[in-house]
Amino acid sequence: MKLDTLIRFQNMDRRWIFLGMGLAILIPMLVPITLPFKVDERVQALYDAVEEVPNGSTVFISADFGPSSRPELEPYFRATLHHLFRKDIKIVSATLWPSAPPLVVPIYEELAERYGKEYGRDWCFLGYKDGKELAIKSIGENIPNAFPKDHVGTPVGELEVMRGYQQAKDFPLIINVSGGAPGTREYVLQIQGQYDLKIASATTAVSGPDYIPFYKAGQLVGLAAGMPGSAHYEKLVFPDGPPEGVRLLATQAYNVLNVGHAFIILLIVAGNLAFFVTRRAEEQEA
Amino acid sequence: MSGIEIAGAWLSIFLTLCVLSFLYDDNPIYKLAEHIFLGVSIGYGVIEIYFGVFKPNLLDKLIDGTTAQQVLAVVPLVMIACLFAKLDKKRAWLARFPIAFIVAAFAGVKLTGQLNANLMTQVAESIPNIPEVWAEYGLWSWEADGAGVLSSIFLVIGLSACLLHFYFSAPQSKTMQKISRFGVLVLMLSFGASFGYTVMGRISLAIGRAQEMLGLDRPPEEVAVIHPKMATLICLVIVIGFLIAWRKRQGDGHEPAN
Amino acid sequence: MRSTLPLILTFVVGLFMVGEFFIPHWRYHMWTQVFLEWGFILAAAAYVLGLVNLVQVNLPKVLNKEQDWPYKLIMLAAIATMMIPGFIGGETRLQDGQMYKWLFDFVFVPLDATMFALLAFYIASAAFRAFRARNLEATVLLAAAILVMLARVPIGENLPVIGTKLVQFMNWIMDVPNTAARRAIFIGSALGAVATGLRIILGIERSHLGTDG
Repeated sequence: MKLDTLIRFQNMDRRWIFLGMGLAILIPMLVPITLPFKVDERVQALYDAVEEVPNGSTVFISADFGPSSRPELEPYFRATLHHLFRKDIKIVSATLWPSAPPLVVPIYEELAERYGKEYGRDWCFLGYKDGKELAIKSIGENIPNAFPKDHVGTPVGELEVMRGYQQAKDFPLIINVSGGAPGTREYVLQIQGQYDLKIASATTAVSGPDYIPFYKAGQLVGLAAGMPGSAHYEKLVFPDGPPEGVRLLATQAYNVLNVGHAFIILLIVAGNLAFFVTRRAEEQEA
Repeated sequence: MSGIEIAGAWLSIFLTLCVLSFLYDDNPIYKLAEHIFLGVSIGYGVIEIYFGVFKPNLLDKLIDGTTAQQVLAVVPLVMIACLFAKLDKKRAWLARFPIAFIVAAFAGVKLTGQLNANLMTQVAESIPNIPEVWAEYGLWSWEADGAGVLSSIFLVIGLSACLLHFYFSAPQSKTMQKISRFGVLVLMLSFGASFGYTVMGRISLAIGRAQEMLGLDRPPEEVAVIHPKMATLICLVIVIGFLIAWRKRQGDGHEPAN
Repeated sequence: MRSTLPLILTFVVGLFMVGEFFIPHWRYHMWTQVFLEWGFILAAAAYVLGLVNLVQVNLPKVLNKEQDWPYKLIMLAAIATMMIPGFIGGETRLQDGQMYKWLFDFVFVPLDATMFALLAFYIASAAFRAFRARNLEATVLLAAAILVMLARVPIGENLPVIGTKLVQFMNWIMDVPNTAARRAIFIGSALGAVATGLRIILGIERSHLGTDG
């Protein structure tokens, strides 16, 4: 290949790369290829932690994600609600992200209706609280003090599901669906060690490598990272495939990632090959 | 689905394409979408803060709370007034009090959190119990993803080498430099893995948008009403048409921002 | 007084919040709960202050028709368009049929999500143009990245002969070198955070108090 062709190749208008990336996402969505996959050990641990929660008890879910992390975390969130409601586990939920309530409340309502769960008795959503670490500390110490009312203004004392659950350590398990900061890191730093809490985390892929040391140190009982984590959890919750009316969006997207990743790897390899060939040729010319 | 919801779904796809038009070049419809986003996100944040924090934790206590709650609620009210004094140059010094309070509160809670979770626990868990690891995994276990005595020793050496790399307080000897170089290689393995996960995360977000534009995230009955693929096609034609017209108006001298 | 009193306040509040971790007595925690509540109320007020400042800066630009004033006008209009239905809707603002919810679902969500989705394309461009294996360190970084990208998706797992080993090796990288490196970063940042926290509480670090008045 001629030297100037390689140089032009390396300096090509990056809009061609954007187009290639777009096609690498669109084509596998229109022509899906499904490949089998094995569940990651950390996601299995997360699933087992929920399985260990006695049926009929109550867990705390901190749903801290927004539109920017929704594709990665909403599938996990939905699968977790299916898992919890199937085991008749009650849910007390809140969020530290302002953009979470309109995303999570419709999902709670949809799945609560599916499983015949009643608001106030089987689940409740306490709303959003600003303050990051201060809000988390407050959850650790006294939830009614942090959230005197739920998201529709009902005093927390009037919610049946909240009776006997005043602080984080009262719950056998805390599930944090974390789109970034504030999220899992802040929960682990602020209250996990102080109150010896069992915290399970589903997080974005970007944060996944950061939280693995927490999992290895026992500060997290399970960890699902990114779209693969959500897809693995969907597989565990629906081992025989989804029931009627349930779409496994993470599993669908997981197979699209194949082509996306292959495209990126191709770009890295092609870019480096062109670079080294060009450099050697230039050195020889010199 | 109502007509307004269908219109909303089409608007959603149109705004998505407006933002994606930035990939071609920084253009007016992207700027329009960007400023709408800024405005809407700030407005939304203020509303949620009012209903999530001010109303339940301050106003309701001031109006309907017990005497003790009312007295205690006056303090943050006064501090908020001091904070807003920052807008007036003459009285801006009053804002130091609430700022001092917030900064001190965060500093206090972060200090203990970092010490306990990031320092003590992480150091303690890094020291391996070799007999226990040997009994469970032996020297190396592929089934357990490489767990074993070798990996435990590698972790301790790698951690120490990385920490040595971050030591800048005194010049490093030749031996220390070699260990530091090993630490850099361990860091590179970690950052490479991070990059792989980051790529995965970013592509996932793009997949999410594609799922919406193709209607794959909606039940079939909603897709039949909204026709997302047709909406995407029509909005794409509008956006491309705009970009062509805008480009022609810019003339040949315009350099793309990309 | 303007400098001394805030410093005393910083010391008292900071020390009080540090004590929250060590002192389990219920009376102490009664007061830490009060301080925490005040803290997140003030943090929320700071956000509103930001809004006021934004309007203060941009409104004159619109009125004086400075550069990009139509965009600033659209931004201010968008703020009002979002806030008015929110206040009108009240506690029911997030229910279906409410204008506030409609704006969130069909304006905020697609814009927020797509802004971040743009990064997928830029990361592809960076992968092609910038990531070069110029030395051993860069080569190790790229090799780890390629391994993780391949093994983390089904295509790598299903490769004949090497698929399973690829996943096991990727998991080893995450469990051992990644953990070692992250822990080193955590330990370093913890020491830095402790030092900074102590400097703030003891009044050595005063930049947060500014130089106004």
